[in-house]
Amino acid sequence: MQTPKSNKRVLLVLCMISIICTLTGCWDNRDINHRVLPLAIGISKQANEYKVILKIQVHDNETTKLKIVTQTGETISKAVDTISTNMESSVDLLHVKVIVIDKETAEDGVKDIISGFMRSREVSPKALIAICDEDIEYFFTNIKKTMTSDGTSLVENFDKGAGWDPQIALTRIWEVYRSVHSYTHDVAIPIIISGKSTSIEHIGSAIIKNGKMVERIDNDETLLFNAFKGESTHGQIEVMTNASVLIIGNSMNIKSKMNGKQPLMEGKVNLKVVILETRGDPSRKFIKKELNAHLSKRFSHMFEKTQKSEADILALGQYFRTHIPRSELKSWRTEYYPNLKMNIQFQIDIQNEGYLKTL
Amino acid sequence: MDSFIQEIRGLFGKNEDFFLLQDYVSDAPVVLLGFKTLLDLTKTKSVLYKNIESMLSAGKSSEEILFNIGEVKEKDIKMATSTLLEGKLIILIENSKKYIVFEPVPKSLNRSVQSPENENVLQGALNSFTEDIDTNIGIMRKQLITTDLFVQSFTTGKNQKRKISLLYLESQADKDLVRKIVNRIETNLDMDINNMQGLTTLMGFSSWEAISKFHTTELPFQAVHLLNKERVVLFVDQLPFAFILPNFFWDLFAMENDRNFPKPIMIAIRAVRVIGILITLISPGLYVALVAVNPEVLQIELALSIARSREGVPYPALVEIILMLLILELILEASVRLPKSIGPTITMVGGIILGQAAVEAKLVSNLLIIILAATTIANSTVVSFQNSVSIRVFKYVVVLLSAIFGILGLVAGLVLVCAYFASLNTFGFSYLYVNLKKDEMNG
Repeated sequence: MQTPKSNKRVLLVLCMISIICTLTGCWDNRDINHRVLPLAIGISKQANEYKVILKIQVHDNETTKLKIVTQTGETISKAVDTISTNMESSVDLLHVKVIVIDKETAEDGVKDIISGFMRSREVSPKALIAICDEDIEYFFTNIKKTMTSDGTSLVENFDKGAGWDPQIALTRIWEVYRSVHSYTHDVAIPIIISGKSTSIEHIGSAIIKNGKMVERIDNDETLLFNAFKGESTHGQIEVMTNASVLIIGNSMNIKSKMNGKQPLMEGKVNLKVVILETRGDPSRKFIKKELNAHLSKRFSHMFEKTQKSEADILALGQYFRTHIPRSELKSWRTEYYPNLKMNIQFQIDIQNEGYLKTL
Repeated sequence: MDSFIQEIRGLFGKNEDFFLLQDYVSDAPVVLLGFKTLLDLTKTKSVLYKNIESMLSAGKSSEEILFNIGEVKEKDIKMATSTLLEGKLIILIENSKKYIVFEPVPKSLNRSVQSPENENVLQGALNSFTEDIDTNIGIMRKQLITTDLFVQSFTTGKNQKRKISLLYLESQADKDLVRKIVNRIETNLDMDINNMQGLTTLMGFSSWEAISKFHTTELPFQAVHLLNKERVVLFVDQLPFAFILPNFFWDLFAMENDRNFPKPIMIAIRAVRVIGILITLISPGLYVALVAVNPEVLQIELALSIARSREGVPYPALVEIILMLLILELILEASVRLPKSIGPTITMVGGIILGQAAVEAKLVSNLLIIILAATTIANSTVVSFQNSVSIRVFKYVVVLLSAIFGILGLVAGLVLVCAYFASLNTFGFSYLYVNLKKDEMNG
């Protein structure tokens, strides 16, 4: 028995179902095989135009081939759109994992590019940024030759589950965006070039201040930078004149103080190491001393560099946010940071000496 | 007297298997009435004569013999016909207003108690319910040796009589529930019950529910266990399973037979069933959502390999999956219809050959075949076939929503299914009710 009321309900449900069909726009969904999923995107600013290079996988009967597509445009999205128009499938930047920017563009400033990515949300804010220290087109054609067929090796270089090493800085789009807008936080971006036997080579990191590359640090300094960030230094080899060790754990303790207008900082880095190789018969104590001196020297060298370029990549300013009034914080980079006195100590704990007990 | 015989003859006389025999009990003339197909006439007669002889030798008169031989009833045409149809022998005494109902030797028309056909049991009691309601109740009585067990029977139907029995444990069952059920049956006694849908209408449930209000089982072991858990059992004559009221969500995962394994194993088995349901519901929807709407969620390596496997597939993911699901449903349905000897052939042709050929012809992607296989296998982990059919239906809701809204749709679909479960209610018991009495916890 159908009462008029339940009839009405059935009608309502039918209406709602037909509305679902018409309002969702689900016909615009493209299946995965009709999308081009570039993994890496290269950007270079030339005169007033952006040159965009996409690294694309093309499936061709069981095998996958790499294809490098280049396009210029007044904006990045315009260039991508042009590529999409010209290709048989639509370009989908959702899977872009690495954005490679050439050095000149980085020195010129990446603020607009980063803001664009953050705004459009087409590229995940988690995508990594790298700087390329050679001509970007040359870089891409070169890595195409040395790369495996599925073309993920560029990405895997930065993947913590795969080929990442603590000498490589990991910086994501959102972190760069944050650094552009933060008073006290800068970032380091890895610098890469195409390699001869391996597909890419890491040659250090760029110090980015307000979205502009101002200075560079080498791989060993990047390691310290990572240790400071708490990015596990696990599995890292530290070479000295007398021994090499493997860092298996690190923790850090920092105290900040203001002396008038002079910021003071005490830092203690605890490193747990394992001895890998020795030359001669150095004692435990000697290795500790050596390592300590070595690290302190390396750290102060890097620290001076960042102070000179007024770029706070270690985010030390974060520790002074409670000491400096907000109105003053603006000038952290220019006035406070270069005056910062840092006293850092490395506490080294040799956890074991390997299988040989002859130290 | 004669008019009574005339009347019965008018009702049944055209039937070849109806008999009307003149006979004598000691010296009193009687007429025997009955159906040859329902009772074994020769055996019944010899039993009858033996009875009479033994009473004669005890020196009883023919009148006394007649009144002791069976149940004596007043002549009533309605009662008499239904007695005859139940397979009893009627002895009419000439020139008297009474007749005698004699318990005959019945023809054996029921199969014996066998192992269950629809539910497999591993390491457990192997008998199952049969068509005969009395056998079923007998099995229950055998398993539940207690004065607590109550059996209430009703004969329903206007034109076609059918016996329904209600079993419950006086100390366990919810009084209110029993009262409501008895009420329902008594108010609808003239309904013809031939199947579960009939029983559903009799109970006053909506016939449009995707999940049955009854938990059906073939296993006496299971039925007894549920009786102990405050439920009630209904038997319908000639239906070889127990209808258990109310049906709960947890019945999808729990079987009493699980308790014949060590407890950790039991928990693992049940966990597998829970995972099975989730895979059934999620995996087809997830495929559509990931392939068509939200490929960004995938790992890049997986995205590339899926894209490669879908290269050249002409249909969108939704059409592809609906097509294959449909074929799968056809295979399932066909293998039910087919004789047991041909069933495996169909499974092989359908499952392996068709699937492989579809992939090679680039009609569907490799991954889809894996998804479908996983779905079908996972679907069968659910307890009771009836439940697995319901879950099969919900899967389509999730697939459709996923095709429209992607991952969001998938989640919305699951919420929808959960909301539907929550909306179900049997005589005041929610479908999601979990009985956590102490003995349940102790296993």
